Amino acid sequence: MRIVVGMKWVPGTQSVRIDPKTGTLIREGVPSIVNPHDLPAVELALRLRDKYGGEVIALSMSPPPAIKGLEYLIGMGVDRAILLTDRVYAGADTLATSYALANAIRKIDAEIGKVDLAVFGQETTDSSTAHIPAQTASWLNWPYVYYVRDAWLTEDGKLRVERILENAIEEWELDMPAIISIAMKSIKPRPVSLLNKIRFKTNPSTLITWTNSYMNLDVRCVGLKGSPTFVAKTVDVPEVPRKKIVYKPKDGEDAARWILKSLLSDEKASRALLKALRGSSGGEGS
Amino acid sequence: MSSTSIPSKFDVAVVGAGPAGSATAYLLAKKGFKVLLVERGRGLGDKQLFGGRVYAQPLREVWPELDKEAPIQRWVTRERVSLVSGDKALTLEFKGGERKSFTALLPQLVAWMQRKAEQAGAIFATEATVDEIMFKDGKAVGIRSGNDVVYADVTVDAEGVNRLLLERAGIVPRLSPDHIALGVKEVLRTGSSQLEAAFGIGSDEGVAWVVVGDVTRGVPGGGFIYTNKDTVSIGVVIHLKHAINAIESGQLNNHVYELVEGFRLHPYFRNLWHGATISEYGGHLTIEGGLSFAPKRLVYPGLLVVGDAAGLLLSTGINYRGVDYAVYSGKLAAEAIEYAASHGGLTYDNLLEYERKVKDSFMYRDLVRHRAVEMLMNDPTMFSKLAEVFIGLFSQMFEQDYSVPTPYEAFTGALTEHNMSLNKLMSYMITAVRGL
Repeated sequence: MRIVVGMKWVPGTQSVRIDPKTGTLIREGVPSIVNPHDLPAVELALRLRDKYGGEVIALSMSPPPAIKGLEYLIGMGVDRAILLTDRVYAGADTLATSYALANAIRKIDAEIGKVDLAVFGQETTDSSTAHIPAQTASWLNWPYVYYVRDAWLTEDGKLRVERILENAIEEWELDMPAIISIAMKSIKPRPVSLLNKIRFKTNPSTLITWTNSYMNLDVRCVGLKGSPTFVAKTVDVPEVPRKKIVYKPKDGEDAARWILKSLLSDEKASRALLKALRGSSGGEGS
Repeated sequence: MSSTSIPSKFDVAVVGAGPAGSATAYLLAKKGFKVLLVERGRGLGDKQLFGGRVYAQPLREVWPELDKEAPIQRWVTRERVSLVSGDKALTLEFKGGERKSFTALLPQLVAWMQRKAEQAGAIFATEATVDEIMFKDGKAVGIRSGNDVVYADVTVDAEGVNRLLLERAGIVPRLSPDHIALGVKEVLRTGSSQLEAAFGIGSDEGVAWVVVGDVTRGVPGGGFIYTNKDTVSIGVVIHLKHAINAIESGQLNNHVYELVEGFRLHPYFRNLWHGATISEYGGHLTIEGGLSFAPKRLVYPGLLVVGDAAGLLLSTGINYRGVDYAVYSGKLAAEAIEYAASHGGLTYDNLLEYERKVKDSFMYRDLVRHRAVEMLMNDPTMFSKLAEVFIGLFSQMFEQDYSVPTPYEAFTGALTEHNMSLNKLMSYMITAVRGL
């Protein structure tokens, strides 16, 4: 089977800072990484290929530095990678991104060979929308199941997936081609292998770059122009320093008295307390 | 795995893409050898850490374009040495003019070396950890990483100070605190104009500054300051064996990062980087007593050892030379491999040329000649006492109310104050002079 797996090149999460004035992410000087939630998706795709044969193609829409991330996936064992890159794709929201990705999957299907399955991570660490797999499925009109943690083929050639919910585990059966997204942290990704890294460095055909002159997408549907949504405002919520007062009460009543006294001694807290008490008395007046 | 065949046999496999490994791979690839350079970092110079200064000439022998192309921060035009005791300090400055050494941020410099190797044709495999050097009938035949095996006629071990591969091969014993120091470093962002004003230097100047004495709370080691373009690298190096002794005796009960902090906040130094933000923080092991750290041989059948792994690092207390030694040993290894290949093959006997070259080099000669100084710098009493006595001498000479002491009075006064006999001081000085 031919499996396409999505990859997003995101800023390393621990080092992300937000500009308090503009509310935007400061990406400058922040080293990027493969979106950690994409790695379980890559792992599942590789397991399916190892079991049923075929190939895994990684797909990313990004400026060229993302090649480093695609190299990592090839290091894990992905057969080849496609980078969609073009100035007209810049500034894309999830709609414009999924439009480009869906068309790339169509292109793979037409130019390289039939695509049976597309696998994505549950969401990305830098925007957390989880839109991409669902929107891509909508463009392609393919069935889509999310929170998947395992998948296999049935005897009559259908895709069977196990999805994990908060309090249930479900099994779904899908016609292929299909799209699934993988529950974060549900599958441990394999490490990079030396021979696969050598393969990436010695075999130029493992990395394919598609620009829009090849993709030929309507420029009104991609990048900033094709993006109806934008971040209107970001509020940086600074951490509130806690006072950390420890009081050892004699009993419950003492504890309640101490808490009440402490709250009433603080003007802001006592106002909030009175307001809450009035609210809970249901307007009976007091 | 699908169709494509993956090369799994190379002329030379170099393990570790630091200065030594990158130089070896670069030179061999340039000569047409099929070279694999393996690095566990991401290939952006990650995992590289040092104080901050590199001597240029040995590097120019490998990359003549160094001065023009390499990511050099500042050429060192001023050398400062400070003795510190409490809040008091004594500083000596030398103003030179020649381009002998430069400051650098090692990740940038090594990334440049790695790119050079890759451009020359070396296959540079990153994010892959080598688990084992593989031996067959006593000869190294290649490397193993996870389930992957790659064969090579020669393996070059450039794994650095923490020699897990040589340990696993039974070539060196486990790391012992006797031969190891711990360096902890901060990079402070000040901006170039503040930096130049604070250090009193021009925009084309740089400072290398060695600090001896109280900065390590009497534990043998020292502090360093190097000026970069718009940042300052500062740090503390502490001898592991003496640090352990000091902790056990209760003399030292701080985490080593507190020593750097103490250094950063020291009243004599803190105004040099007033208001700076800490932009980087890191720690790394380094070698003390290079020759005693070296493996028994630098050549084994099918295997050469270069750089830190070979114990090729000089630390005299004033001069620290690691990066240039690493690069130079990589150059000698590459030359020896080329020599062997053109003299009937990469046999053990032919590869011994590398050991001969190292023994004939300035590195080996200096490591032998500076042995005594290294032992001296390792003596804890000498370290703290000398700083105290000299600071005491100048304090007697300059800190006065009415009477001006003669130099002799100042000197004997300082000796008495710090409980040091003239004989003992002389014996230290004689050892030091002999070593020098």
